[in-house]
Amino acid sequence: MNKFRRAVLWCALVLIILLIVLSIYGAFAGAERAKGFFNSLPLGLYWSALTVMLIAGIGVFRRLVREPALLLIHGGCVLILTGSMWGSAAGHELRKKLLGIEKIPGGKMAIFEGQSDNHVKAEGERGMKELPFHIKLKDFRIEYYKPEYLDIESRQGQHWQVPVEIGGEFSLGADVGTVIITKAFENFKITFEDDKSAAYDDPEPGYNPALEVQIRGPDGGVTTDYVFERYPGHVHPEDKFLLSYHRTVRDYISELAVIKDDKVVLEKNIEVNHPLHFGGYHFYQHSYDEQGRQYTVLEVVSDSGLIWVYAGYLMLCIAVFWHLWLREFAAGRARVRSE
Amino acid sequence: MEVKYTLQGLLIYLAMAAYVAAFVRRLVGREKSGQLLYTFGFAVCCAAFAYRWYSVRHVPMQNLFEVFLSMGLLIYPVSSFCERVLRVGGRCADMLIGTIVLFPAGFVFSAEPQRLPPALQSWLFAPHVAVYVLSYIFMAKATFQASCQLAGKPPCPDGKVLPAEEATYRMIRAGFPLLTLGLVLGSVWGKLAWGDYWGWDPKELWSLASWLVYVGYFHFRYMFGKRHPRINSTWAVAGMAAIVITLLWVNLSRLFSGLHSYAA
Repeated sequence: MNKFRRAVLWCALVLIILLIVLSIYGAFAGAERAKGFFNSLPLGLYWSALTVMLIAGIGVFRRLVREPALLLIHGGCVLILTGSMWGSAAGHELRKKLLGIEKIPGGKMAIFEGQSDNHVKAEGERGMKELPFHIKLKDFRIEYYKPEYLDIESRQGQHWQVPVEIGGEFSLGADVGTVIITKAFENFKITFEDDKSAAYDDPEPGYNPALEVQIRGPDGGVTTDYVFERYPGHVHPEDKFLLSYHRTVRDYISELAVIKDDKVVLEKNIEVNHPLHFGGYHFYQHSYDEQGRQYTVLEVVSDSGLIWVYAGYLMLCIAVFWHLWLREFAAGRARVRSE
Repeated sequence: MEVKYTLQGLLIYLAMAAYVAAFVRRLVGREKSGQLLYTFGFAVCCAAFAYRWYSVRHVPMQNLFEVFLSMGLLIYPVSSFCERVLRVGGRCADMLIGTIVLFPAGFVFSAEPQRLPPALQSWLFAPHVAVYVLSYIFMAKATFQASCQLAGKPPCPDGKVLPAEEATYRMIRAGFPLLTLGLVLGSVWGKLAWGDYWGWDPKELWSLASWLVYVGYFHFRYMFGKRHPRINSTWAVAGMAAIVITLLWVNLSRLFSGLHSYAA
């Protein structure tokens, strides 16, 4: 290996070690600060230098061209770096200045049920930006795992987990009694008429899940309690049991429609792991109205550069297996056969 | 320390006992009975894994308990494959590694079944975790070989298996593609679930750091070949240290809170 090639390899090694150190620093800094740090101007220079070094390596080392797998590995890394720089906020800004192409790199949009919107609160910018189409939220819902459970804890420390089945009777033991869940509410409200209270499920917007629970003691005495999902630890001093009602979320689903030129051009239910892709943007389920469940919050992400990154991933994966596995294991199989 | 008085716990302890017994038998030169015990331990691990899968109703790789259980299961096939196909020895050490990785599953991490949160309900969940677990086993074996090389004690002096430095290289060659695939699958999954293929999360950055250590190893070994075996081995050990931090410290320490915290 001549001196020039050795120098190039040393440079590559230094860049690799530097990135290891920077990654460890970023891990200690936390995701938010690390994101800012790795997208800063000095790091932009580092990414550019790394890309140039990879390209230079392909030019300098003939082996990288002669062996297709090695070429794919290094070419794949170049594509990943180029694609991610192209898709970064700085890449979007640069394209706007040089080519006049304006695209929102990323942001959030809140849409109420039954309404459509095209305004995006772009990341790190004041004011709203507009998409060239509208997104309509037809419905937002949260699905829960079944069965749901009611947790019961006695003051003596005994614990029971009762599946939520309306009308079903569950024994807590001969000396404790039985429990029956008589009603389930999605939006619990209570009215007072003639000094009597009555619980009901309010169909108006709102969200207050609750259970009506009857506990029958061994002496036949019945007490009725209400257990609220959003207010755990709701207990009176005279209560014999601490009741809690907690549901495990299975999925968050927003039913969306894309409207362009007053026509619905696409409909999709988005959920975690299943985003919507339209017009150069991905739309993700981000959060929701925790109080009334009336609106959803979508994360909007530009897809610029993504195809390059994925192409780089594909090249890298195929090539590492080709280079490090296929030849090695083929030789290994031949050895086993010969023995 | 959490002792598990359940069928799940019993199976793990039985597998651990079999692995330890196999290790001891091999040490005293009783190779045949050692191998039988190792196979028995593997069979019990299979039963423990299948039982867990049946209990939680999803591929049991959600949390650290399940990940370590999977490692205890995979050590045996990896061990056999390495010895037969790759000519890399260290089966005796693999029995010990099997016991070590089952220990946290048996005594440290909770086996409380958990339902999959929405982010984990993806076709990428099982392959992403499985390839990482498999790569970690290869890298653990590489580290053992590298440590033997650093200590100046060849793991197996007979001519059937490779010397430590070459065995380390071969193990890293086997583990690195899996490590790469794990990183890429995680990135693709991150894009689908969170909107970003790279979120600068501590777990992501530590996994990148571990991947880069092995990239550095390959470049260094290409530059110098076997002329600096101790430095080659040091790269391998450093890679494993980064993996241990990625797998354990990031999930267990409050220092690195992030998107992967549910894996603890």
